[in-house]
Amino acid sequence: MWAQILEQLINGLVLGGIYALIAVGYTMVYGIIQLINFAHGEIYMFGAYIALMLIAVGTPFWIALPLSMLLCAILGMFIDFIAYKPLRNAPRLSALITAIGISLALQNLARMIWSARPRQFPSEVLPSFFLSEVTETGKVINAVPLPGGGILPFRDVFIFLLAVVLMIVLNMLIYLTKIGKAMRACAQNQVASNLMGIKTNQVIAATFAIGSALGAVAGIMVGLSEVVTPTMGYYKGVAAFAAAVLGGIGSISGAIVGGIVIGIAEVFGADIHSGYRIAFAYIIMILVILIRPSGIFGKATSKRA
Amino acid sequence: MRNWIVVLLLVSLVTVWGCQPADKTTDDTETDTQDAQQELRVAVAAPITGSAAAFGDMIKKGALLKEKEINDAGGINGMKLTLLFRDDAGKGSEASLVAERIANDNTILAVVGHFNSACSLAGQSIYDRVGIVELSPGSTAVNVCEGSKWTFRNLYRDDFQGKFIAQYIDNVLTELESVAVFFDNDDYGRGLRNAFVAEIENTELKLVASEAYERDTTNFKAQLTSIKAKKPDAIFISGLYTEAGLIVKQAREAGITSQFFGADGIDNADFLTTAGTKAAAGTYITTPFLFGADDVKAQEMASNFENLHGVPPDTWAALTYDAVGMIAEALEKTYKPEASIEDKRSAIREHLAAIDTPEKGYNGITGLTYFDHNGDTVDKPAYVKIVKDGKFVAADKQLTGKN
Repeated sequence: MWAQILEQLINGLVLGGIYALIAVGYTMVYGIIQLINFAHGEIYMFGAYIALMLIAVGTPFWIALPLSMLLCAILGMFIDFIAYKPLRNAPRLSALITAIGISLALQNLARMIWSARPRQFPSEVLPSFFLSEVTETGKVINAVPLPGGGILPFRDVFIFLLAVVLMIVLNMLIYLTKIGKAMRACAQNQVASNLMGIKTNQVIAATFAIGSALGAVAGIMVGLSEVVTPTMGYYKGVAAFAAAVLGGIGSISGAIVGGIVIGIAEVFGADIHSGYRIAFAYIIMILVILIRPSGIFGKATSKRA
Repeated sequence: MRNWIVVLLLVSLVTVWGCQPADKTTDDTETDTQDAQQELRVAVAAPITGSAAAFGDMIKKGALLKEKEINDAGGINGMKLTLLFRDDAGKGSEASLVAERIANDNTILAVVGHFNSACSLAGQSIYDRVGIVELSPGSTAVNVCEGSKWTFRNLYRDDFQGKFIAQYIDNVLTELESVAVFFDNDDYGRGLRNAFVAEIENTELKLVASEAYERDTTNFKAQLTSIKAKKPDAIFISGLYTEAGLIVKQAREAGITSQFFGADGIDNADFLTTAGTKAAAGTYITTPFLFGADDVKAQEMASNFENLHGVPPDTWAALTYDAVGMIAEALEKTYKPEASIEDKRSAIREHLAAIDTPEKGYNGITGLTYFDHNGDTVDKPAYVKIVKDGKFVAADKQLTGKN
């Protein structure tokens, strides 16, 4: 019984860490330009595919990971530049619809380039500690044995730790650096920040770059333990979006907490009734929003114009 | 300003382009109706894209081989057989759109497909309304043919398959006592699970867990942890190969050592690549057809297939090959160029419906096919395969018994 709960808790934390990484991308962009960037799930998917392609041509994993982050950061900024920047002063709905359009375009682009068939990271080229197994003699390789006969693969530990480290780095970036200060200023009042000499368009581009790089990491992590498909961004993206809303959209700590809560709710929901696995996550989200409409960490201020 | 309009146009162009069905080239031929005078057109509806795309690939290859063989031998009464491939992406919602397009195309005489049960069911009412034959080489859900005089299939139903799997585990794998079911929550997965669970009551087996998942799920850890707590000797996966591959892989990681059993939805080589050959080793599956080593006809088809496509055929390629053959035979016997399209289509239906005894049966490579009053195939057996050395091979013990 306890062994099972412990194992589910670990499953939920690993899943939640991934949701948190994706949710941060939604929430950062929303915090600054009040846009729900629906294309974010697709950037996450591209992150996985780019890493997969790099590894397929012989790039070591530890180079493919940052390179994919970099390329996705550029992709994120590029999307902002071509699709959202021209609509900065247009009604918010225009930008939202554009975001949905970009999301569909990227998804279909991926389907054209890489086909709809699921792909996996070739295990031969991955760092050996990602390949956990239990041998016939019961020896556990590259994993932590759990009470109850299960194992916790080092890969999952790595996913969770990486998510935690990236979140700490992100918080340091936002609260301790100049660009972070500029971001916070823009989030508070874009016009005033601009008047104070902050180049708001550059700050927004930087926000897209950071969110996209984190999304790419999440994509690669999911690709490692699951599969890479053109629609992978949709499924995890929707859950991560729910996480961002639950935590209070616009708040980074909210996205992190929201991600973990959704991850754990999904896992224990599956334990209660597997057919409604994802529904439990949304029920939790709806309950939280009913009690606190702005989310766990959201500020209950009136909407800016 | 102008710049971004151009960019936006480009983006929308990519979107529209990407949304086009993969069978764009065959679409173009649709417009020249003149050709339709000399050629006989049959649609093949299959999951060319989506998570069941590996099935669609084999279906297309099997159909192409039969088309080539027929045309190389002079066609059907001197007329050329042309197959038009239509993509339903393995989803019922897409299938209705595809079916609507096929039914309203007056040059198409019959449909081979759909593959997924949900797709065949979605197409059924549309084909019924217009009056065009739907011959499925892969749908096994119980109610696919029921209530429709236009729907046929050339393989067994899931009520037989589910029962067969329970019987096999009970009678052949006697060391297994408790079983868990992990099923895809769609027409196919649910129907097969229900048949399996119903038969468990009649055996010595004990059902200890029954968990569901949604199509396109990629993380099964939560359900697997629940299943593990019940310590089943065997886990029956009632679903398709992509999800099943991930389930087996993640189950082994979670320390589950149970025997895995699957059905024909897993009968694709992509199952092995997704799960990894080590995790997949020893998995049993059922299948409607085996390429028997001493089956001359099947071996000949297999070698022709490999010459044409460079890969060996699988079960679905074989069943589609036979389905196209059956439609071709019907065309050969009933096609009258002067008849109206409605008459041409219903003549095919009459021909198939008349194949109702073993004597009149169509003798294809997958065995003798003949239909009952529903359009279901009677008397085709199920076989068992096991994963050995990274390949599906026939299991040592087969269970005789037909549906």
